[in-house]
Amino acid sequence: MDPLNEDQIGKLLRLKKFEQPPPGYFDNFLHEFHRRQRDELLREPIWRIALQRTQDFLFRLNIPGLASYPAAVTALLICAAVISLKVYQTPETVNVAAQNRAPVVATTSLPDSHWSLSNPVTTRELGPSLVRTVKDSSQTHRVTAPPRYVLDSTPVSYEPAFRF
Amino acid sequence: MEQPRSDEDQQLVARTQAGEAAAFDELVVKYTPRLYGLVYNMTSNHEDTNDLLQDVFSKAYKSIGGFRGKSSFYTWIHSIAVNMTLNFLKKRGRRFHLSLDDMDASVQNDKEFLELTATSSPVREADLGELQRRLNEAMMKLSDEHRAVVTMFHIQGMPHAEISKILRVSEGTVRSRLFYANRQLQNYLDEFRKNPVS
Repeated sequence: MDPLNEDQIGKLLRLKKFEQPPPGYFDNFLHEFHRRQRDELLREPIWRIALQRTQDFLFRLNIPGLASYPAAVTALLICAAVISLKVYQTPETVNVAAQNRAPVVATTSLPDSHWSLSNPVTTRELGPSLVRTVKDSSQTHRVTAPPRYVLDSTPVSYEPAFRF
Repeated sequence: MEQPRSDEDQQLVARTQAGEAAAFDELVVKYTPRLYGLVYNMTSNHEDTNDLLQDVFSKAYKSIGGFRGKSSFYTWIHSIAVNMTLNFLKKRGRRFHLSLDDMDASVQNDKEFLELTATSSPVREADLGELQRRLNEAMMKLSDEHRAVVTMFHIQGMPHAEISKILRVSEGTVRSRLFYANRQLQNYLDEFRKNPVS
């Protein structure tokens, strides 16, 4: 007896395609499919259904396609974070003055009658109403440099004016 | 087995993706007989096949939003069916029972069947029912992967290239599995022919 060759085996196997399910099976399959789908929906918790619908919605919008640039998205987020920090950060008050030190009185007081235009500014004595407090921090001049005076935090220059 | 027109499938898929559930019903009706043959010949059990087919279509419906048409719907749905069946068979192990021992009555008048029974000597030598049972047993002795290839090639009539796409293996692997499976079936059926009552 010759052994079966591949072709004969193939023919025998093709007979198997005549094995069919019970009559009416294919007609009822779709109905059964719908019934199972409904059962699945009823069994699933609401949050999962909502999640699935959201996923479907995002999928239709092709959000995954837009999110395919993770590096760009990350960089954008980092930039946004840095900018928002810069904008909303409150700058700390810089108080360079020594707060606990007593104010330095420029000089003793004199009546207004002692005022004279001939007196040099540097030696003029101010009355009590004109006493100004001078803080150490406002003494910006160097020891060797000619004295400079600061009025209302605005440096005043004593350089000779231009001559025309 | 003739492959369905892919442009028709594409339209049905597009309509399903647009939210028209009736379009998916058309796909279910169209592909159920074909997939039944595939899954049944891998499981050899009607109840398991029915449950698996329901799960296959359910999974396909949930995933169809992500189907981008890189392969045909035919290949895609067959891949789902084969993978789910292979997973099921791994869980089920070697336990199985044959539930379909009787051929469809209409087969007696089928032209191909008449040709086969008239020309094929093994069919003439053995009782057809017994040979059918032996064939099923021989099929179940194959590994799941080999049975899948035999089912798709010999029973479903798919070309090697299509099987390789569905299984995501090379055509060489398909041919190699087919060769090995044929050898195994040959040996088993030859034993039966030499000793039919065993």
